Amino acid sequence: MKSDCTDKADILQGTLILLVLRTLEALGPMHGYGIARRIEQISRDVLQLNQGTLYPALLRMEQEGWIASKWGASEKNRKARYYSITAAGRKRLAKETEDWRRMSSTIERFLCPGLGSMGKELG
Amino acid sequence: MSRAGVFAARLRALFRRRRLERELDEEVRFHLEMLVEENLRAGMDPVEARYAALRAFGPLQPMKEAYRDRRALALVETLAQDIRHTLRILRRSPGFTAASAAVLALAIGANTAMFSVLNAVLLRPLPFRSPEQLVMLWSENPSQNLREGRSAYANVEEWRRQSKSFTDLAVFDPVRVTLTTAVEAEQVSVARISPNFFPLLGVQPLLGRNFTEEEAGQRQRLALISHGFWRARFGGSPGAIGAMIELDGIPSRIIGILPADFEFPMLSEDVWEPHTLFPDWETHRGVQGGDTWFVVGRLRPGVTLAQAQAEVSVIARRLDERLPASRRGRGISVVPLSRQVAGPRVRLALWMLAGAVFCVLLIAATNVAGLSLARAVGREREMAIRAALGASRRRILRQLLAEGLTLAVISGLAGLLVAQAVIQVIPALKPGSLARLSEVGIDPRVLGWALVLCLLTGILVGLAPATCVAQQGLIHSSLQGGRGISGGVAARRMRRALVVAEFALAIVLLAGAGLLIRSLQSIQDVDPGFRTERILSMQLSSPALMAAAQRPGFCSRVLEEIESLPGVESAGIIGNFFIGGNPEQPVTTEGDDRAASERLRFRREEVSSRFFETVGTPLLRGRFFSAGDGPGSPRVAILNETMARRLWPGRDPLARRFKLDSGDSGGQWFTVVGVVGDMRRQGLEKEPIPQMFEPLAQNPSRLVTLLVRTSMEDPLKMAGTLRGAVRRVEKHAPVYGVMTLEDQLDSFLTQRRLQTSLLIGFSLIALLMAAIGVYGLLHYSVAARTQEIGIRMAMGAQAGKIFRMTIGEGLKLSLTGLVIGLVGALWLGRVGRSLLFGVTAADPLTFVAVSLLMLVVAAAACFFPARRAMRVDPVVALRQE
Repeated sequence: MKSDCTDKADILQGTLILLVLRTLEALGPMHGYGIARRIEQISRDVLQLNQGTLYPALLRMEQEGWIASKWGASEKNRKARYYSITAAGRKRLAKETEDWRRMSSTIERFLCPGLGSMGKELG
Repeated sequence: MSRAGVFAARLRALFRRRRLERELDEEVRFHLEMLVEENLRAGMDPVEARYAALRAFGPLQPMKEAYRDRRALALVETLAQDIRHTLRILRRSPGFTAASAAVLALAIGANTAMFSVLNAVLLRPLPFRSPEQLVMLWSENPSQNLREGRSAYANVEEWRRQSKSFTDLAVFDPVRVTLTTAVEAEQVSVARISPNFFPLLGVQPLLGRNFTEEEAGQRQRLALISHGFWRARFGGSPGAIGAMIELDGIPSRIIGILPADFEFPMLSEDVWEPHTLFPDWETHRGVQGGDTWFVVGRLRPGVTLAQAQAEVSVIARRLDERLPASRRGRGISVVPLSRQVAGPRVRLALWMLAGAVFCVLLIAATNVAGLSLARAVGREREMAIRAALGASRRRILRQLLAEGLTLAVISGLAGLLVAQAVIQVIPALKPGSLARLSEVGIDPRVLGWALVLCLLTGILVGLAPATCVAQQGLIHSSLQGGRGISGGVAARRMRRALVVAEFALAIVLLAGAGLLIRSLQSIQDVDPGFRTERILSMQLSSPALMAAAQRPGFCSRVLEEIESLPGVESAGIIGNFFIGGNPEQPVTTEGDDRAASERLRFRREEVSSRFFETVGTPLLRGRFFSAGDGPGSPRVAILNETMARRLWPGRDPLARRFKLDSGDSGGQWFTVVGVVGDMRRQGLEKEPIPQMFEPLAQNPSRLVTLLVRTSMEDPLKMAGTLRGAVRRVEKHAPVYGVMTLEDQLDSFLTQRRLQTSLLIGFSLIALLMAAIGVYGLLHYSVAARTQEIGIRMAMGAQAGKIFRMTIGEGLKLSLTGLVIGLVGALWLGRVGRSLLFGVTAADPLTFVAVSLLMLVVAAAACFFPARRAMRVDPVVALRQE
């Protein structure tokens, strides 16, 4: 059970940034709770993260300059911190997306040997 | 968050940890509340909803720790990364690094050294107890343009009695006396001080004690000696206490030794004795005229300078009313002691030099900024790659800033070494009589200033490229694969602005130096009113125990002996040749119908009969003194032109009479027998003051100046012979201070000459750096546009046109800088007007000359890149790609 948790977290570390940036790009400024809910919704609860782990990640992204944050009022007029994507963040997102696509297509080819260039090389 | 604020925000984060912590808590609470609400909506009961929320959020503490780690880590991590990267970059281009660091180190070093002088002379508090309470009190008489004058003892007593602003007032009077030992006689400086002088300053003798009020009252001959005197005379032995020294032939007992670090702003005396040892003390103390004493006071705690000034002004008015009408109009001014360390002109000169050397640093930093800007453009690709790898723009900015700062810190450390070296050399520069110069050194304040300079330099050097990266999509353009033919537009614009600024600053300094050179020339062109060539001057003191009546005989025997020497053309004696400030005295003149009395500042000196011939001062009317003007004959005087005009404006002064109301002439009338030309005996810069001369025989003083005109090119070679001659006349007569008259007159200019040469040096460095700046800009721009130029040439552009285009670009920049700089120079000349002599602040010759100089240098700097542009071979240029 315990190890399960960390495995999941490891996977998340790499992809969390992509997910957050994508969310912010698509939906505009959001608070941490909103981002967490959105990721769970989109992943149809497959990616169940400990929502708290989101915050160190947000801090790091802010430090890198990919996102910016600002205090504002929530729907129910409560104080909340809103995150939004920056220009650098969009660039990063484009790159991460591309990396991810390349990576997943490569993995795909591994998983289906005999197809594509891989097969030719082996042959 | 604004880009400029990023760095500041990170720094603030360090200090506002608690607030950030609170913000995180708030954020977490909000998140949890939202979760709880959602759970409630889903129909859970409150307790369950809360647990579910906490579960969904995950463990709180580890999260917070991760958050905190991240916060701290990022700072340290990126800082370390920046520094590592910077060092790598700097190592990669050692030429650039070494050249920039050297230039900056010299500039920072010079600034630090200059500041250490400023710090010691003007800024550092005086080494006394509560120095801010110490003030000088001066007698003044605005109607006679008398400022910062000395005061009469009786007046000081009144001030002390009537005022409530001061805890105490002390008086002092520096004099020179002869110290006689078994082997020799020499002059030492002595200050006569009231017994409360040292207690008022809060200075304790290192050994022994101060004299008491009672001892002073009894006129006991006691002395305190300076630390330097103690070491020189007694080898620092404690046995000096109780030893006797012979001052002016009368023994005094040493009772105390002053600490080594004791230094009073206006005095560097060897011996300190009671003020009551003043000759004729009993009659002197009651007299209200006779301005003898300097007065130092200590303000009561809480009393401001303005309050004290207001109070003494009232007292001055009250005292004034007791005086006869002709002597009224006197006031008292209170001046902080710290302001007395250096006069207003010295202060202005120091600030001016500090400003100039700061300009040099600005130019140096600007130059390096220009270079690193050029490199930044050259490093487009590196930046682009880093950006592509995910470095945020502000990360790159910070990197550039870190580069600037690292370079500045390296330079700053080297600069401190430079400063230390310069400080060692300062005494050798003989900066004239600058008080507290011995205290110049590197202290925390100087270090602080050096640090400020480093940061400033670093920011300037780092920020110039950084702003360009920020402004113009430097990263973008490269990402798009553009070759960037003309480099970053913003970067180029910035570099041009920097070059303009360099020229503007350089021209300000050049104009300043030019004005000072012209001032120095005008001063040297001034006719001193006497000739200095081949004249040797020395101090001669008649033996201490010789009666006053015998002195004229002694003097004439010395003159006779000397004039009989081969190689001597003539010799003369004057009481004092070069003079400083002088007290005002009442003078009564006999007019056509009645006598009029007035107070006048003038100088009175006894001269031997051949004195004026010796120094070549022309007789305008009447006659010189002759052997007939002896002690018994009627008193006669020769006036200088200024004094004659002042006493009898528009009339013939010959055979007219005047008398002085001071004690020693006993109210006798002087008859004017001659008028001589004005002599500038206060140095060339000062207008000649009224001067009167009387025959040596009628008023001989002990200490006189002997002037000898020789037939030698180097009169100093005669020094030994002359000493011998004096010794033949009188074995115990001390001769000292042998100098050529030329050197003495010249020494008035030492400080000015040093200022001028420093400013010349600074301005030439500035000009050179500006030239390097424009050269670098053009050189780079030609290199970057080789292709473009090649295309133009291939299309038929004339080489001459390319040449003109390039050189025109550089000249346009330097001309813009020139115009801006001239405006600045005009303004600055007005501020520093009091440092000028014989030229206006807008001297056309100076401005034209420095403008031409700058244009020539700028043209030369532009020539080489332009020639290179002209020689671009289109074929080679186009093949490059």
